[in-house]
Amino acid sequence: MTDAELEATITQLQQQVELMNQALIAMLEGKWVGAPPSAEAYLYALNPWLQGTLKLDPPVVPDGSHDPGR
Amino acid sequence: MTPDVESQLTQLEQRLRLQTDGLAQMLQGRWTGRQSLEADLKLLNPTTQLTPKPPLLVSQAPAPPKGWRSTYQPNTEMPPQVYDWTCSACSLDWVLRATGVAPHHTREQAVSEIGYPENVNPTYGLMDSSGSALRRVFADYGLQTGQAWLTFDQVWAGANQSTGQMSGGTWYHWVAIRGTKGSDLWIANSAPGYKGVWDILTREQFAALGPFSVVYLV
Repeated sequence: MTDAELEATITQLQQQVELMNQALIAMLEGKWVGAPPSAEAYLYALNPWLQGTLKLDPPVVPDGSHDPGR
Repeated sequence: MTPDVESQLTQLEQRLRLQTDGLAQMLQGRWTGRQSLEADLKLLNPTTQLTPKPPLLVSQAPAPPKGWRSTYQPNTEMPPQVYDWTCSACSLDWVLRATGVAPHHTREQAVSEIGYPENVNPTYGLMDSSGSALRRVFADYGLQTGQAWLTFDQVWAGANQSTGQMSGGTWYHWVAIRGTKGSDLWIANSAPGYKGVWDILTREQFAALGPFSVVYLV
């Protein structure tokens, strides 16, 4: 691997680590699917080949609108 | 670049690939078992002790409420009644407003719809304590109802699923059913304080003021 290839690989890894961080933040905030910023969107940025191949079944995210006791 | 650095880079790429796959597994609801987030995490670090607690998934969640249940607001205001004979109309009006079936409904409308003076009047209040006139009004609004003389436990169980109106024979008073509060019934009472009852009806009060005729939405 040349120095230029090494630099490109490190840059790519840094970008992917940042996308993974953003995906973790999106999950923590309950933004699992849909347009960015969602975990789904960051996943496709990490691996574009996954687009259209997943059968999504994300966790239920409470929206706070349900009346307690109902 | 030394072989050592190249090996470390390759290892990093593999780890990131596993993390990406774990993310894809989570999005597809595969949290544990083969081809899951758990499996990816074990590959990333075989010595990590995991105690998975997978979340409730959209595919497992109960269906959202339909019809009036989707718009029901049990906290809907119940202003005190002005006349001493209109409790059945006030509680009918409350149910129609609280369910969102007729959000701008009025008590005057309710009296007229129940049928003044043949079905409700200043002398007797609601004429038929089985609530047949109330059920007819609900039907006019497209609401299916049932009616029965129920025990406290039956009303309590039903109040967690539906709303409606009820009248105690000894109480001689109609109220609407908001839901439950702990082991008590939570009611919408247009005569707060009447015979010592405000917005909570306890088992003991129910026994003292009954028997109760209940008109409930199906």
